[in-house]
Amino acid sequence: MKNKIVTIVFAVVLFMVSLTAFFKPVDSYSESERRPLEKLPDVSAESILSGSFMAGFEKYATDQFPGRDFLRGCKAAFATNVLQKKDNNALFVKDGHISKIDSNINEPMLDYAASLFERLTKKHAEGKVYFSIVPDKNCYLTKESIYPSMDYEAFIEHMKQKTPFMEYVDITHLLDLDDYYTTDTHWKQENITHVAAFLANKMGTDLTKDYTQKEIERAFYGVYHGQLALPFKADKMVYLTNDVIDNFNVTYYSTGEGVKGDVYNMKKAQGRDMYEMFLSGSESVVVIENPNAEKDKELVIFRDSYASSIAPLIAQGYKKTTLVDLRYMQSAFLESYVDFGGADALFLYSTSVLNTATSMK
Amino acid sequence: MLFSSIPFLYYFLPIVLICYFLAPKCLKNAVLLVFSLAFYAWGEPRYVFLMALTIIVNYLMGLLIDKYQGKRLSKLFLLISCVFSLGSLAYFKYADFFIANFNRVTGLNVKLLNIALPIGISFYTFQILSYTIDVYHRNTPVQKSIVALGAYVTLFPQLIAGPIVRYSDVERELRERYHSFDKVADGIRRFIIGLSKKVIIANSLGEMCDAFKLSDDKSVLFYWLFAVGFSLQIYFDFSGYSDMAIGLGKIFGFNFLENFNYPFISKSITEFWRRWHMSLGSWFRDYVYIPMGGNRVGKLRLFVNIFTVWFLTGFWHGAEWNFIVWGLFFGVLLTLEKFFYGKHLAKLKVLNHIYVLFAVLISFVIFSASNMGEAMEYLGGMFGYGNLPLVSKDFIYNAISYAFIIALAIIGSTPIVKDLYNKLKETKCSVVLNVLELPVLLILLFVVTAYLADGSFNPFLYFRF
Repeated sequence: MKNKIVTIVFAVVLFMVSLTAFFKPVDSYSESERRPLEKLPDVSAESILSGSFMAGFEKYATDQFPGRDFLRGCKAAFATNVLQKKDNNALFVKDGHISKIDSNINEPMLDYAASLFERLTKKHAEGKVYFSIVPDKNCYLTKESIYPSMDYEAFIEHMKQKTPFMEYVDITHLLDLDDYYTTDTHWKQENITHVAAFLANKMGTDLTKDYTQKEIERAFYGVYHGQLALPFKADKMVYLTNDVIDNFNVTYYSTGEGVKGDVYNMKKAQGRDMYEMFLSGSESVVVIENPNAEKDKELVIFRDSYASSIAPLIAQGYKKTTLVDLRYMQSAFLESYVDFGGADALFLYSTSVLNTATSMK
Repeated sequence: MLFSSIPFLYYFLPIVLICYFLAPKCLKNAVLLVFSLAFYAWGEPRYVFLMALTIIVNYLMGLLIDKYQGKRLSKLFLLISCVFSLGSLAYFKYADFFIANFNRVTGLNVKLLNIALPIGISFYTFQILSYTIDVYHRNTPVQKSIVALGAYVTLFPQLIAGPIVRYSDVERELRERYHSFDKVADGIRRFIIGLSKKVIIANSLGEMCDAFKLSDDKSVLFYWLFAVGFSLQIYFDFSGYSDMAIGLGKIFGFNFLENFNYPFISKSITEFWRRWHMSLGSWFRDYVYIPMGGNRVGKLRLFVNIFTVWFLTGFWHGAEWNFIVWGLFFGVLLTLEKFFYGKHLAKLKVLNHIYVLFAVLISFVIFSASNMGEAMEYLGGMFGYGNLPLVSKDFIYNAISYAFIIALAIIGSTPIVKDLYNKLKETKCSVVLNVLELPVLLILLFVVTAYLADGSFNPFLYFRF
């Protein structure tokens, strides 16, 4: 009797799950992981013989599995609570923060970044050139812990040695863990005004205006939150304004044509990644014109996403600030969009992007 | 297709089960053949033709060997079968190894063939050879149905990773096998336990081994942690896969022989190999060692026999020198045990276990490497070569993070749980165990599904063989 029950229950479970998987509507995007989900690959003699159909189907079946987000959460809870693992898929929780283990310095990547910066500097820069590295929050989170951590001092030292053509501005000592979102990799704009002022000062300009803090009502769940797949308290999304920032003229060039926009994109604030509200997120070239600038100075910032939130603060000290993200445009086309005439340049990159620098072209 | 995958569990398996159990008795082998070919083609669409050719050639050779039984022609047809099967194996698995070594010795630059290895070729080659050799020796009757022989060779539960099921062991079941709720339920239990061993334990340990390989912060203890982790990973990976194969076999009415019997509790390397990958060990014993004369030869010849078998065992696992060294390492230990200290080992109560575990750890470190240079680097690291620190931060983190999984794996690699379960079954607790069994199986299936849906790390070590 017992064996009959085991057999019947197993069969029922197997077939019910299988039928659900077969007939479940296809999802196109995973909100929690912030990535498109695999669709059923095209069936053809070629795709079957090459094996690409099978490879695609395996990804499709996994991505589209019914209740996948719930199951991911269960897996994370089982791995960390039952098996007592200290991380789940390299994500860990410490001191109220979610973070990702990333402990290796990828020197060839750093060298690639340095040579790319050198090429750009030699070809384009006419004014002074500055370089600053935004440390990952692990720099402050994993120092005295069991978690593997990168040697950030060695990281910065390596980059400094490889970029003698730029003036390095160290901001590591200005930051601490509270300056970063708890569920995201980025820093909080409201906590980095002193960093912006420090950088501006080092580059020969001053930021004197006070700011008004505004808060987005919607809870902010950062990129790590969905990846962790465990319940976690949301962050608050705060942004800073004042008369100068409110009067910025911002032009986005991601389509090739200049499109006017806002410093803070409220549509994006209601979208999948709220951090994209800062200068609209992934944009190849953004120009901020400041009609209230006290000086005639111009700045070109070569940057990643960390600069999206600090650039509006720094831009107060310049008449024109151009932001270039080399992950979304080829450096060879730079001259078509960026006017370097006499501008200073700031290379502002996070450790994580420098450590995977081939994403920059 | 891996058993431990969503497509297998929730797409392939339900369909094959429906078709198999709805098919009339006379068509069950045909259903298995068709689905097994589809299973194989899923991973290797091109090589399904090689598989079909292997079946046809060996089917014909089997018939001809039987027809000319006792005559010289019979030997010729056996030779053709062996040359074809081993030739295919040599070409697809070892050609580049031979070319690379030829280039190294001669200084020439013969171009490598870069042939993709047909999945499971090492396993099904040995299976098909067991058929033609046994027919030649009249140990088993010839199979007149190409469908039944095809079903045997391609049988998906054991096609890609064994156990190496001999034709003689399933010959009767290919003709007639019975299905019952008892047998199917046994198969389900075994399959889910194997799946859990593979997905929950082996894959977790695999993550740790990968973290070790990627780490820039290695230390002596981290090398040892890797050695322990990899040894446990390969045991849970391979024995889990064998459990799944045996379980699926039971569901479809077959009784495959056991492949693992708690090898880490062995008191000697001789015993270890009686407990580890038993189907491979017994294949080499019966089809290589004994035909060469086995033990009943002079001392020198015995050495030759032993080292031939262990050279081949290592080489079977992979076309790299580290696999050959791995095999010969066991050859040396087995020879030493046979002629020198084997008898004394039994008297050393705890030391014999330490000796076995130490030797096995060393062997799997050699095995884990992708070449001999890497193997030497790992071994050097374990003994502090290269001024490595004793402890590093990455070691501490991984030792803490995986402590529970390693402890679970160590306990699971001994018969403690099984013995406890059997003891409790004889007490009043048996009622509780009976009630709990199904929920536990369902929870395990749920957890495994959660791991697979997460798309977690899911390699399979024996896939490359």
